Amino acid sequence: MVKVKRKPLEEIAESVKGYTKILNVGCGGCVSVCLAGGQREVKTTNAELTLLFEEKGINSRVDGYTVERQCNAACLEELDDLVVRYDCLLSMACGAGVQMLAERYPSKPVFPAQNTVAIGVDREIGVYEEKCRACGRCVLAYTGGIWIPCAWNDIYIRLKQQNRLDDIKKIHLAMEWQNSTPRTIVQPQYEHLYAKEEK
Amino acid sequence: MKKNTKGVDHRKIKNILDKNKAKIELSMKACAHCSMCAESCFLFQARNKDPRYMPSYKFLKTLGVIYKKKGKVDRVTLEEMKPILWKRCVLCTRCYCPMGIDIPYLIRTARSICRSQDVYYRYDEDA
Ligand code: SF4
Ligand code: SF4
Ligand code: SF4
Ligand code: SF4
Repeated sequence: MVKVKRKPLEEIAESVKGYTKILNVGCGGCVSVCLAGGQREVKTTNAELTLLFEEKGINSRVDGYTVERQCNAACLEELDDLVVRYDCLLSMACGAGVQMLAERYPSKPVFPAQNTVAIGVDREIGVYEEKCRACGRCVLAYTGGIWIPCAWNDIYIRLKQQNRLDDIKKIHLAMEWQNSTPRTIVQPQYEHLYAKEEK
Repeated sequence: MKKNTKGVDHRKIKNILDKNKAKIELSMKACAHCSMCAESCFLFQARNKDPRYMPSYKFLKTLGVIYKKKGKVDRVTLEEMKPILWKRCVLCTRCYCPMGIDIPYLIRTARSICRSQDVYYRYDEDA
């Protein structure tokens, strides 16, 4: 899933500076799994922020609310009545969630509380490793399930072990780094619903 | 904040129920217990068709109970719903009901009620 790491408290505080009523929105999806942006982390972040505001004599208040998924419009519905009561929003979700919030509430400033790091795997509790950069043209079929930048030596060893060394002799087209522009995904079985009408 | 002896703020639950009343009521009335939604849930399939993974079971045993009791549930009851709501459903929204019941919405609303009482699944709690 998406892996994130919370921004330093000072940076978060700096971004919401000047706003009196702040709503910190958590996400019950990936960021809950990587223990960084779920309901519990919203609570701890808000406690830290409140303390910092007190120390600095800042007259701001931060409340929290966690939705099941910030990247899904239906999950944001329950926020609609709440958001109007706040001056700005802080998002504990990944970058996709932050943008979805900003899109739904265009009149409210939305600030990210996380640095979105990677698509990754869970190693231990609280330990996550980057595994994918969403390049848009997966090469794992011929790299023995090892991601290229992770080293050709590992790829060689695994393919040899699986008797698939032929796979690295194949010539492939140069990688198109499709992740250099924002992409939209439409699954094939739904394409007919969204196909542009021909004139 | 007014809290009852069992540590549940019923006003918050009532607010959520009221806000969603029409849709919840309609869904509870419309459910024919036909279990046709079961086939569309990958978790039901993956768990050897264990009936406790049926989408209808999941919303009836959680939101259905809360709704019937008009929100007057205690903390133990909410804690018992937690595994149904978080471990037996991933909110993938793939379940399909021919009656048009929005099952993920019902499960989400039940989660939201639990969350309002600080009852939610922590991904490091089984570790
Ligand atoms: S908003 Fe980001 S963190 Fe939350 S569920 Fe969606 S992708 Fe995962
Ligand atoms: S090749 Fe691309 S899609 Fe496949 S794992 Fe690497 S970054 Fe992800
Ligand atoms: S939710 Fe729909 S498909 Fe499932 S049991 Fe009820 S009526 Fe049948
Ligand atoms: S949303 Fe939940 S009940 Fe519906 S298909 Fe997905 S896991 Fe099953």
